[in-house]
Amino acid sequence: MAWNQSAAYALRRLLQAVPTVLVIVALNFLLLKLAPGDAADVLAGEAGSATPEFMAQLREKFGLDQPLGVQLLLYMKQIVTFDLGYSFRHSMPVAELILSRLGPTLLLMVTVFGLAVGAGALLGSLAARNLNRWQDNMISMLTVLAYATPVFWAGLMLIVLFSIKLGWFPTSGMQQVAAFHEGFAKVRDIAHHLVLPAFTLTMFYMALYTRLMRASVLEQSSMDYVVTARAKGLTERQIARRHVFRNALLPVVTMAGVQAGAMLGGAVVVETVFAWPGLGLLAYESLFARDLNLLLGIFFVSTCLVVIVNLIVDLAYSFLDPRIELR
Amino acid sequence: MTVLNVLPRGLAALVIAAATAGVMTTAPAAFAQGTPQKGGTLVMVVQPEPPTLAAYQSTAGPVGQVTTKVYEGLLEYDFSLKPIPGLAASWSVSPDSKTVTFKLQPGVKFHDGKPFTSADVQFSVMEVLKKVHPRGLNTFRAVTAVETPDPLTAVFRLSEPAPYLMMALSSYESPMIPKHIFGTGDITRHPNANIPIGTGPYKFVEWQRGQFMRFDRNPEYRKAGLPHLDRIVARFIADGGTRAAVLETQEAHIAGFNAVPPVDVKRLQALPHIAVTQKGYEMQAPIVQLDFNTTRPPFDDVKVRQAVAYAIDRKFVIDNIWFGFGRPATGPINSNFKANGLFTTDVKNYNVANGVELANKLLDEAGKPRGSDGTRFEIVHDVTPYGEEWRRFGEYTAQQLGKVGIKVTLRYEDVPSWLRRIYTNYDFQLTSNWIQTLADPVIGVHRLYHSASIKPGTVFVNSSRWSTPETDDLMNRAAVEGDAAKRAALYHDFQKRVVEASPLVFVHELEFITVHNKKLNNFPLSPLGLYSSFDQVWLSK
Repeated sequence: MAWNQSAAYALRRLLQAVPTVLVIVALNFLLLKLAPGDAADVLAGEAGSATPEFMAQLREKFGLDQPLGVQLLLYMKQIVTFDLGYSFRHSMPVAELILSRLGPTLLLMVTVFGLAVGAGALLGSLAARNLNRWQDNMISMLTVLAYATPVFWAGLMLIVLFSIKLGWFPTSGMQQVAAFHEGFAKVRDIAHHLVLPAFTLTMFYMALYTRLMRASVLEQSSMDYVVTARAKGLTERQIARRHVFRNALLPVVTMAGVQAGAMLGGAVVVETVFAWPGLGLLAYESLFARDLNLLLGIFFVSTCLVVIVNLIVDLAYSFLDPRIELR
Repeated sequence: MTVLNVLPRGLAALVIAAATAGVMTTAPAAFAQGTPQKGGTLVMVVQPEPPTLAAYQSTAGPVGQVTTKVYEGLLEYDFSLKPIPGLAASWSVSPDSKTVTFKLQPGVKFHDGKPFTSADVQFSVMEVLKKVHPRGLNTFRAVTAVETPDPLTAVFRLSEPAPYLMMALSSYESPMIPKHIFGTGDITRHPNANIPIGTGPYKFVEWQRGQFMRFDRNPEYRKAGLPHLDRIVARFIADGGTRAAVLETQEAHIAGFNAVPPVDVKRLQALPHIAVTQKGYEMQAPIVQLDFNTTRPPFDDVKVRQAVAYAIDRKFVIDNIWFGFGRPATGPINSNFKANGLFTTDVKNYNVANGVELANKLLDEAGKPRGSDGTRFEIVHDVTPYGEEWRRFGEYTAQQLGKVGIKVTLRYEDVPSWLRRIYTNYDFQLTSNWIQTLADPVIGVHRLYHSASIKPGTVFVNSSRWSTPETDDLMNRAAVEGDAAKRAALYHDFQKRVVEASPLVFVHELEFITVHNKKLNNFPLSPLGLYSSFDQVWLSK
């Protein structure tokens, strides 16, 4: 029964999201058109030279010779059939291009989010339970340090220490390119390459969740229900685990939901430093190449992802706190 | 949005330098000596990642670095810029220079096993390069037909003599592609665009986007016993500091076209396993320049333009901004063309010790006196958006022109905005720029000075909008002059006139840097450098 209810709720929410997504697509399109220069300028610029006939030919092929309104209508027509179009710059369909980069992005971000939220929640409650003792001070100091360190610098320093000096991890990339491992060796190889970028990003996000969790646990600890539980004779450990932790987790989940939206683009710096083949870098490059089809495609995928993640967060609320009803 | 722009690259590199000095202990291998050893995987860093592998419709640098391992051209070139056999075993030019006959190498096969014949040459030139290649329209404009009397003979019929054509038939400039693959379907969005099938020493295997491309040895390659390597892998790394690090840790063997930033080169050079070379870019011949908008005050006045040309201290720029990698430029034609006689130093010399003094004098003569605050006039200088060193160069220009009373404001934009401003809207006064003058002036130089190249919306053409009937005429005649000595004389006259009028400041001839592991041998063997096939490159074990 409850399962059916959740499913119906999810479906309704998804349907409601359709007009929102379309409006976002149209806005993105118009905003991107405000930037001076177009894909033909960039392609010809990279070629180092081009004839006027070639430029005109490019613009015609890209549909850039059409009026803006017509271009927008054509694009919207494509989108409603889930056709993300063709990237002339990359000579391949946008959907294929995004799919090929989605895997590494998700691998990195899911790892980072799992570690950051998990470790952040644990460290945060540990700090709160040992308020103003050495554990709390230590954790607070480390989180401030991790949060304040620029990500690119931390990344480069980790490369210097662990790749160049100690030789424990590869500097960059996702696989050892000269080897072409297969099967289990490949999984191990990718995991080996994942360590440094994931660690760099986790440090940053974990700091945030630790601070949030600490404040949240402290707030919950002074609530009436904790006093009641204590009066009932529960041990501090039981109170912390069964009562406080779940309630304190709600703001952290909210924050994670909001940040998941930035997940796709948020890793540009780490992707750059560690040459991790993610979507953030692709979006960044396509912006400077004015590859609008590709950029709009990436925006579309991230918009959809945000809608889905928000839905998951709402479902998680009712799981963590059964008093919250799905309506 | 501009995350990468705010990364202080120099700082990062400096920190790495400090932290790693003297760490490498690997013994250096013998360099370019001994007999070639078979096998091994060469890892090259290509920056940025090529957007496509359609070398027949993109001349972007990174594309050329990888596709030249797969596709071949009719000709290759030696260091004196003379053509040598490629897919064409021999060639002859008719007395009236209007017919060029190529005899093709026999027994050459594409990677799919089908033979390479004159029909592929005809298709590549007439149907592809002449129609969709960015420079092909210009390069092959005189070619009216390619005849194929037999499978191993291709005859180019020209409407007028085209001496530059013979300089533009390398695998990078004019790749020969298979008709049986690309002959069907729309060439501009062909399914095989990113699955190249050529005749070269390496076969394309896979492209993991954002990571690497893999090319394996072609056992059927036309040159017996070649290539030496088993495999080439091209890697893509967006951060300059990390690119330097992979060469340092020996995860990669070679990186060219300044993929390792000049600021890091000096440090890497000191490592025992690293070698640095500026050779292998002779057919790119880039020149760093300052472009004036000659249609608007103050730079419509030749004296003002000459004053700026005098004020720039070329040695200072090369030594301090480009870390010593470069040569002072004297005019529109790169000194690489000394090799075939087109270059001359007999031009007005702006690279003089008392440049600032002469500049002040010229500005006084031009009727631009200093105001009460010492300023003669103010300009905006657009900085070309191709990296850190251009910003430093912009700052230097501002400071140096300040000495002669020109107050400079700098403007930074991204690539598409800058291209639009300079080449479509002409909404600028002075911009820094760098132009590859390529393998022949007709292909690389005419576009910057010919009146027919003033084309709004077309990039890297005549943006200063300066031209004279005399220089137009010299270029027109040189384009069709079959006699080498006469052609050289026309270009000498041309250089003299252009330098005198100074429509742009010729600052220096940019020297690209290739950083490579000393285990790598036989590089570079041709002026095409990283654009060559690497068939003879080998790795010491």
